[in-house]
Amino acid sequence: MDKKKRTRFIVICSCILAVLLVGIFLTGDPAKEEEPINIVMKDAVLHETAKVSFPIVGSVNPAVVSAYTVTAIILVFSLTVRLFVIPKFTDTPGKFQLLLEQAVGIFDDLAKSNSPQRNKFLGVYVFTAGAYIFIGTLFELLGVMVPTTNGGSIALPAPLADINGAISMGVFSYLVILSGGVAGNRFKGVLHTLKDFSLPISMSFRLFGALLSGALVTELVYYYITTSFIIPVFVAVMFTMLHALIQAYVLTMLTALFYGEVCMKEGPIEDGKIP
Amino acid sequence: MPLNIDIQQILLHLFNLVLLLSILYLLLYKPVHDFMDKRAEEYKERDKRTKDALSDAEKLKAEYEEKVSAAEAENARTRASISAAAESDREKIISDAHEKASKIIDEARDKAVAEHDRLIARAQTEIAEYVSKAAEKIVMDSGTLEDDFDSFFESVGKGDIAKKGQNNG
Repeated sequence: MDKKKRTRFIVICSCILAVLLVGIFLTGDPAKEEEPINIVMKDAVLHETAKVSFPIVGSVNPAVVSAYTVTAIILVFSLTVRLFVIPKFTDTPGKFQLLLEQAVGIFDDLAKSNSPQRNKFLGVYVFTAGAYIFIGTLFELLGVMVPTTNGGSIALPAPLADINGAISMGVFSYLVILSGGVAGNRFKGVLHTLKDFSLPISMSFRLFGALLSGALVTELVYYYITTSFIIPVFVAVMFTMLHALIQAYVLTMLTALFYGEVCMKEGPIEDGKIP
Repeated sequence: MPLNIDIQQILLHLFNLVLLLSILYLLLYKPVHDFMDKRAEEYKERDKRTKDALSDAEKLKAEYEEKVSAAEAENARTRASISAAAESDREKIISDAHEKASKIIDEARDKAVAEHDRLIARAQTEIAEYVSKAAEKIVMDSGTLEDDFDSFFESVGKGDIAKKGQNNG
């Protein structure tokens, strides 16, 4: 492309962008103008008004739909991998096989290092939780629009940006830790687990707070048209991609740590081996 | 409930999580984990086989070295015994040769002495014969003592006696 053609290309692109910008500013969303920022933020936290319909149970928070959509995506992906990729695994792994082995290996090692005595179920759980938090948080970036029960539309949020989703994750993790305590130490294990009764609350609200902060900042950025350009790229990276990694790591690490603690058998150390 | 906490939705999320756990365990985690375990087991087995083979090879090497050192020792022993036998043979041959040589020398000496004695005896006989013949001639010619002597010396000077000696000898 010579200099003249390049200049013409840049000028045409600039004109199109300018026309689009004018159009964007002139055609504002009348619904958004009616909805003040405090309502938008409150709804992002509580989902009191923007509900979506769900089969059998009726109207639910959009995060429930997000959760099942994420599960469906993971199911399709897993099924495809199970049917077409895993049978072709070789001793010398390719890039994709290496990725899968790394994903399984990282969580398996996390379980083994934190709970050397009992780690099979813990490995599966932290793998699931890690995948769910990571993929669920990144799912928010897709911005899948669904109709709400009040006639509007809403972009599906991350499943754990909803208080009910975060509580279920925290409670499930706590139940897994409790099961480890029961399996490893019977009644003593239960007592050990109950001693940390604040764990499900801290786990739930840590997740909720972290993911909600990202959702709120994103809402705020998109609420004002002037901040809707370029800035969302950095916001998405900071609050979605980093949170996806950090929260997946934090929750799985905490669960593995507490699981290992409650299921560890007490007794004297013989020949350097823990009983 | 405060914060829009809804037990039904929590249960829905929990149901979803259990479903996801089952799916991921059955379709992804277990097959990949089993494959990795199987491969690790296979590598462990290969490692064990390699170590066993190495240990066998080292054992064979030790046996071989032992055999080599035994063969070398045997070789050295054989060489020493052969060398000792050769030395003894050499000494025997030399002593035999010395013995033979001294025998030959003795025989030669004896022969030489006998020859010497024979020649002396013969010379003595011849001298005696010449002396006898000369005396006889002198007596036969019976001249003066001076003539006799002259004729004797004359005959000697002419070489008659020597010729006679040579013919006799």
